[in-house]
Amino acid sequence: MVNFNLKTVYSIAKKEFLDNSRNKWILVLTGLFIILPLLISLAFSGTDKIFGGMDNTVLGLVAISSLLIPFVAIILGFSTISGEDENGALSVVLSYPVRRIELLFGKILGLGSVLVVSIFIGFGLSGVIITLAVGEASWAPFIAFILYNIGLGFVFLTGSIFISALCKSRTRSIGGAILLYFFGPIVGMFLMAIGAGMGYKVAEFQFPPWMLDYQIPLSPPDLVQTAVPVAYGTKVIEYSGMIINIPEYMTYAYFAFIQLTWIIIFIILGYLLLKKREI
Amino acid sequence: MVSKTIMCPNCKNQITIEGSPGERKIITCPKCNTRGGFSFPGEGAISKVVSGSSAIEIHGLTKTYNGLKAVDNLSFNVRKGEIFGFLGPNGAGKTTAIKALLGLIHADTGVMKIDGHNMRDESIEAKKKLGYLPERANFYKNLTPVQTLDFFCELKGENKSVILPLLKEVGLEDAINKKVGNFSKGMVQLLGVAQTMIGKPSIYILDEPMGGLDARWVKSIREKIKMLNKQGATVILSSHILSEVQNLCDRVAIINKGKLIAEDTVSNLNKYLNIKPRLEITVKGLDGKVPSIINELKGVEAANAKGNTLLITCESPIRVKVISALEDAGFVIENIITIEPSLEDAFVKLVEGDT
Ligand SMILES: Nc1ncnc2c1ncn2[C@@H]1O[C@H](COP(=O)(O)OP(=O)(O)O)[C@@H](O)[C@H]1O
Ligand SMILES: [Mg+2]
Repeated sequence: MVNFNLKTVYSIAKKEFLDNSRNKWILVLTGLFIILPLLISLAFSGTDKIFGGMDNTVLGLVAISSLLIPFVAIILGFSTISGEDENGALSVVLSYPVRRIELLFGKILGLGSVLVVSIFIGFGLSGVIITLAVGEASWAPFIAFILYNIGLGFVFLTGSIFISALCKSRTRSIGGAILLYFFGPIVGMFLMAIGAGMGYKVAEFQFPPWMLDYQIPLSPPDLVQTAVPVAYGTKVIEYSGMIINIPEYMTYAYFAFIQLTWIIIFIILGYLLLKKREI
Repeated sequence: MVSKTIMCPNCKNQITIEGSPGERKIITCPKCNTRGGFSFPGEGAISKVVSGSSAIEIHGLTKTYNGLKAVDNLSFNVRKGEIFGFLGPNGAGKTTAIKALLGLIHADTGVMKIDGHNMRDESIEAKKKLGYLPERANFYKNLTPVQTLDFFCELKGENKSVILPLLKEVGLEDAINKKVGNFSKGMVQLLGVAQTMIGKPSIYILDEPMGGLDARWVKSIREKIKMLNKQGATVILSSHILSEVQNLCDRVAIINKGKLIAEDTVSNLNKYLNIKPRLEITVKGLDGKVPSIINELKGVEAANAKGNTLLITCESPIRVKVISALEDAGFVIENIITIEPSLEDAFVKLVEGDT
């Protein structure tokens, strides 16, 4: 039987929200969330409209968001356990009637709220401004865009909490966080190396046909960069200079399933590490 | 009969001796013939997990780090209502034992109880009436002290009306709108103390509560501990500075290298250790020799000279006589310092004896 006190989870979440929403890094990054979409839409304004048109803007934004959101999530989570362990706060909290699983979920909820608020303030606000300027927008794919980005944020948030439960000190967590951030590109390079080994001319953008089958589930930022065009009805994507057909089976459900799987794996691993951890 | 393994202070040889609780023995090291005295802990110090009225029971606690026993088969009880000093030099295993008791680290073996609750399966219940101050407490740098205590109140289901009085009580009333990230080390420690009092705990566990604080704060924390104890709380506090706690504690346990080496009341401990402060007097032109008037003075138990400083062990009423005797003999006294007995002194005495 798992004992679980929701009130405790809520209290921890509230504390994390209060503490981290005042984090100056998060404030700066949220500012970027507001400014970048506007800059991107101006960049797409080569046509007759001032703001380029929402759909183009959104497609341009994915490139930015899939770099920026993992960064914000990692900043929020990478030392949330190791750092508080090192400075002694964690030992105080765990001397209260708090179970470690409550601590973990409280942190995910609280830090997740900061992340979601930051994404909404940034992309939501710019979405509204652009819509007002342009007057026409396809809302369903834009909502899908926001949801995929939130999913991406939670993959990296739970991933970075896992890192912070794994690493003994804040300093080591920085190393882990960097590895986590570049996990997608590392997977990509690995797959290309295998492709090259199999005789594909990778240097001339001739990728093995199974590349996306592995790249998408293993690299959450690439997943979002594929899922958003799919939401906008695209059947092909440009990948490292080559046009690739998106496999038929890659639907909303598939993308959501992969994101959820990552989140669940990271939560389970994080919990096992936190339970074993000596504070 | 109990047996104890002690270490020869001279050749580090391990010697096992037998005796009855409270007994004092003179031992000669079989290896290097160094003579020394050892007192077995008094009756009641031999702990068993028996009494339901113990505030804290630790039985057979062992914790190994990379093959090294940081805590080695440690057992002791803290009785309800007492101030209990948990003493030992740096690295003795105090923090490790406390963290294992709280379940923050996982012990190899041992049964631990707080207020009768077995920490294995009833730790949540036990922690409701517990206040803990870790060795290094720090909190959330972007929160104010009010927000910090608000959080801890929620975790204990305590009414938030206690927050401002608590902050006032520890002397942080002028800092209620400051971020904890801008607090000094002492202020953070005071916030840590305030935090322990949330929910009116019946048991306090304080790990080096005065560590690294200046005299003013040490005094204020000492007073706080006395007051909490007067209100009925049990307090266990660890320290590596005996003088800091010896007038505070009803009983103490002393550990070294993870093992319990003494557990007794402070007065018993002081009696059989015969620990006294020393007087360090700087005398102009002393030249490394103890003046004969000091050697002849009644009540001076030991006198040593090094350069122009004179080290004298005596009861406090004799100190005045020492100083006037020196002045009468025409010596010019430049400085006088009282050196409080350190725990290291106690250790030497515990193993080596005072003979
Ligand atoms: N996490 C750890 N890993 C390895 N050794 C440790 C760890 N924590 C404590 N120790 C060792 O255990 C011994 C006891 O340390 P500690 O309990 O902190 O002593 P005290 O609190 O009495 O100063 C020391 O030798 C210390 O180096
Ligand atoms: Mg310690």
